Amino acid sequence: MTNHMDQLDEPLHFGRALMSWILPGLGQCMAGHRRRGIFAMIAILGMFFCGLLIGGVDSVDRKEDPLWFYAQAAAGPIAFAADWANSGLLKTGRVGELVESPPSNPRAAPTMVSTFKTVTVANEVGILYCALAGLMNVVVVLDALKRPSALAQGGWKGS
Amino acid sequence: MNANLEPNSILLQAWIPLLEPIGDLGSYWWLLMLPLVLGISIAYRATHDESLDRFWYRVFMFTTKSIIAMGSLAAALYLFVYLVIPMLRVV
Repeated sequence: MTNHMDQLDEPLHFGRALMSWILPGLGQCMAGHRRRGIFAMIAILGMFFCGLLIGGVDSVDRKEDPLWFYAQAAAGPIAFAADWANSGLLKTGRVGELVESPPSNPRAAPTMVSTFKTVTVANEVGILYCALAGLMNVVVVLDALKRPSALAQGGWKGS
Repeated sequence: MNANLEPNSILLQAWIPLLEPIGDLGSYWWLLMLPLVLGISIAYRATHDESLDRFWYRVFMFTTKSIIAMGSLAAALYLFVYLVIPMLRVV
């Protein structure tokens, strides 16, 4: 009980939490928990990169998949960079070609889509990878927010 | 497509990493869940455990348990859909 109350009294480290959002695990490294931060960084960035590799940058789409993007955005600026690559390169036709897509509504005007756009299982798995990377980064950010520095825990342990 | 392309160059053109999704996964798409669970396990163990002693052993155990749990759930759902539901009488 005493330990629980002590944990509640611990200060919140908003700067470290912000750093962990910008680069997953950086907040833990700043607090002296270098190994912990590096493990988190490898896991989050690895999952996000694997998602892009599996599903392509089309896996991150702020306009077409906004709910998924809310989760993906928690992985940090890398999600916004992927969305920019999708909307700025693929959707404008600067990379690949734009082709006419049959509209779902016969009265609506046909839309132009990139030849790189897909609706395969791989794309869905890529979306899932990036979203779970973001959700796990929420855990990492919350950990950076609450975790005391290594010095406060009794000196540098390299953990 | 250029008809003079060698077969190897056609294969190389088949997938552009980061721009295109990986090729047809067929019925093996579920294998992609394994590295995903590993990534989740590493992030979870790195933030949850007080000590990082035997870190990779704990990651391995967490990954294995998660995969067994998901596999069991999938098997239960398979039995429910393909065995239980067909046995139900439609009135």
